[in-house]
Order: sequence, then C-alpha cells, then structure tokens
Amino acid sequence: MCGLGLLAATGTASAHGGSLAGGGRESLTIPTWLFLSTGGAAVGASFLLASFVTDRAFIERIHDWGRPLSGGFERILGLAGQLIGLAGLAAVFVVGFLGPTNARTNLAILLVWVGWWAGLAMTTYLVGNAWATLNPFKTLAGLLSTLDRPYPARVGSWPAVGGLLVLVWLEVVSPLADQPRLLASVVAGYAVLTLTGALVFGPDDWFAHADPVERVFRYYGRFAPIGRDEDGLRLRLPGMDLSTPRLVDGPDEVAFVVALLWVTTYDGLVTTPAWRDLTTPLVDAGVPPHLLYPVALGIGFAGFLGVYRLAVRFSRNMSDTYLSPAVLAQRFAPPLVAIAVGYHFAHYLGYFLVLAPSLAVALASPFADPATVPTVELPEWFGAVALTSVIAGHLVAIWVAHAAAYDLFPARLQAIRSQYPFIAVMVFYTMTSLWVVSQPEVALPHL
Amino acid sequence: MTDTATQTAADTAATSTDDGAAYDVPADATAYTCAYCGRPFARESWLALHRGLAHPNELDDAEIEAFRAAHDDEEESLSTFRLQALGALVLIYFGLLMIYALV
Repeated sequence: MCGLGLLAATGTASAHGGSLAGGGRESLTIPTWLFLSTGGAAVGASFLLASFVTDRAFIERIHDWGRPLSGGFERILGLAGQLIGLAGLAAVFVVGFLGPTNARTNLAILLVWVGWWAGLAMTTYLVGNAWATLNPFKTLAGLLSTLDRPYPARVGSWPAVGGLLVLVWLEVVSPLADQPRLLASVVAGYAVLTLTGALVFGPDDWFAHADPVERVFRYYGRFAPIGRDEDGLRLRLPGMDLSTPRLVDGPDEVAFVVALLWVTTYDGLVTTPAWRDLTTPLVDAGVPPHLLYPVALGIGFAGFLGVYRLAVRFSRNMSDTYLSPAVLAQRFAPPLVAIAVGYHFAHYLGYFLVLAPSLAVALASPFADPATVPTVELPEWFGAVALTSVIAGHLVAIWVAHAAAYDLFPARLQAIRSQYPFIAVMVFYTMTSLWVVSQPEVALPHL
Repeated sequence: MTDTATQTAADTAATSTDDGAAYDVPADATAYTCAYCGRPFARESWLALHRGLAHPNELDDAEIEAFRAAHDDEEESLSTFRLQALGALVLIYFGLLMIYALV
C-alpha cells in the first residue's frame, strides 16, 4: 500500500514520512491523461461552483461558526498527556537501542512511524492538536532552566523551514524506518538540538518559531474541528479556521507552508520511474547521488516558492489591488495546508490501518520478537479513499481561499478574479500529484 | 440567496491591513483612499463598497447612497459572471462526458 506498509510485509522497509508515495498507487483502467484531466477539471469546476456563493454574510457565518468547549478537566488531561509523551519518548530510546532489530516488530519504529507520524498526525487534523501537549521535548525543556537569550526576530521561522527540509531529506535517503538503532540515534540527535535551542532561547520562543515538528502539527491542528482561542477550547467546522487573518505572518511562514506542500510531493516524486530515468544520466556523468537528493530538494523548494510568489504577483495584477504582495502571500498561504492534509490522509490512512495491529502487539510486549506480526489486508476499493481525500483537500483549499478573498477585497468580482492564478497553479499541482500517485513505485535509485 | 453587507463581514475586512507596509501604491496611479482607515483603492466604486462593508455605522447619507449604487452595479456584473461560470461548468461536464464515451 505505501512505504512501510507493503515493504514491511515483505521485510525490506524503507522510510517514507512525506505523503505521496504509494497513497493510491494501483493500476488504472482509464488512460493516464484522462485520469489527470479529470482530477484537474474537478478542481477547476469546484472553483467555478465556489464562485457562485457570493453572499458575504453566508461565507462569514460558515467560517465563524463555533462554540466553546468547557474545560475544567483540561489541567488533568494536560498532565496525563505530558506523561504519555514522555513515556513514548522513553520507549523509543529504550526499545530503539535495546529491542529487536527487526523493523516489523520493533516498538520504536512502529511507535514513531505508525503511532506518531501516521496516527497522531491524522488525529491532529481530524480532531485537534494533541502534540502541543504531548510533545515530550517541550515538557523536558520546561523542566530545564533557560538562559533566556532574546530570539533573533530577523531569523524568524527560517530555522523551521530548513529543519523541515533536512528532516524530510534524512527520512527519504536513510533507512530510518528500517533500523531501530539508527532511528533512536536520530531522535536523540533531534532531542539534543531541540533542548539546546530551548535552553538558550527559552522553550516558548524556540517551539513557537524554530522547531519544525511543532510547527507542522500546529498548522495541521488549524484544520481540526477542535481548536484553541483566547477563551480555551472551541469547536468549529473543519478547515474553516484556515481563513483567519494573521495565521501565517511573514515571508518565513509563507515559505514554511510552501515547504510543507513541496516535501509531500518530493517524497513521492523520488520513487517514480521518471525520476530514475531523469537522474540516471546525471549519475552516470559523475554527479554524486548523495549530492543529488538534497540539491533536488532545494531546487524543487525554490521552484515551488517561486511559482507561489509569481501567482501572488499575477493575483495582484488581476484584482487590481493596492494591497502589497506580502499581504496577499500571507493570506492565501493557509489554504495550502488543507491540500497537504489531503495528501497526508491519502497516504497514511491505509498505512496506519495496515500496521496498527503490529503496533498493538509491539506495545503489549516490546522486547518479544515474534516471527509473524498481524497486519490488516485492505480491500480493493481502498485506493478510492486515497484519491477522494486528495481531491477533498483541494476543495477545502478552494473554499478557504474564496472566503479569504472575500474578506480581503470589497468587490466580489475582484475577489473571484484574484483567485484565477491560484486556481491555475492548483489545477496544475493536482494533475502533477495525481500523476505521481498513478506511477508505479520503484526503489530509491542510486542509493 | 440574499446579499447583505453585515457588520460581521465588515469588521474583519480590514483587520489584516492596519499597518502602513500593507499597501503598495504605484507612484503614477490614482488612488481613492478611505477617509476612515486610510486603505487605498484603484476604483471609486471599490472605495464605496469598502466604506459600506468596513465602516457601516460611520457613513453620511451621500456615502450610503454611493454604497447602494456600487452594490447594485456589482450585482449586475455578478449575474453576468454567473452565466459565464455556468457556461464553463457545462462545457467541462459535457466535454468530459463525451471524452469518456469515446475512450
């Protein structure tokens, strides 16, 4: 089904923490070009449908709908969450270094990839951001004293952007889902780095700006029906909080959202036959493969960011507004989170369901190394769920951008027109992603 | 579907643009600037709409009249747009339908 899912079953797991690889990879009964055009047309048609909703009050009502959730039990729940997070981290270290070396039975591998990166991330956008409480690194950092150096405002969230790219690069090129010892070492390295940062700048500043993982979960959590505002927990419609002004503040945060989207594509792209065919001549000509992957990651990110900025510029011209490009870039970035959520769900729902029984077995007896572990066989039609969630992510993004445009522009036609460049990019992006999903998955070439 | 400019719509309209760096007006362009919040617009009708949406309780009679007129004009151009969008949807739908029938 996907990265670890199928491969773990055959014994050679490879790490794929991004999102596209394998989500719905299966043979198609219609020609690829028609499959791609249908996906693109669905996105374009949704935009046209959204443009029929021109009642400002109605749009506002949908996005403002919500009710507070009373929270007397919050403190106890928070404390329990912190303890669970710490226990999980301890389990990753102990079982990762001392447990069985088999990726299919090792609790550290299953806990990180199945429990945390698939399971917890899914609950983050389907229910609410529990990582904000569970995060064991934040709990530990809170226990340590801090030097409280002022966090340089100029640096902003760029360390998180770089951190996300580095994490995904590591995850793609190294056997992180294969070797428990390696995984535990990487988690230890991340812990040292994070705690040092929190020690120097204070945990609040560090986790608010520089920590990439915290930020990924925070943005995913903005999609969720349960969120946090000044008065505590609040219920709202899924995805609708993404149209809030100032959710993304500054070019660094725009870059982070774009990076989040790019890494999901990159992760799938490098396992397509087209990538192998494209890079084989380069490697034959003497380009070291270990350089190839990070360079491609960097170039692709720059390309994505460039296309997004270009779309902002076109949007500004089309809507004939005097708002600065920075304002538009910040306001139209959060809808991209909905797209990333769609891809994450497409990839990891199946992965989680297949391996959840293995995780349960490993949790019950962390040091046992059974010869066979239970997995779930997914039904034939399951691939359709993945494709549906990819499209659904795009639909939510279109709606949220529609609402943000209405909020931003006084004239409604102006608001609709401002979306043309973004819709064009989105149609193209959908088609690219569906193409990646429809490609057969090959082993990572040259490594 | 009724199109009403409510206060809730108005309150959030300008919140993300309350600092000076939020605007970027070309040197040779004409700008109609809102007297209440200072936001510049490229067209007078947009300014009229903005005043009605963002500052509904502060307007004088002439400004209210301008908002009404701009709102009516907007309705008209919106119905033209709706027709075009509907046409495009029909094209996409039947286009795909025919392609699926042929392939």
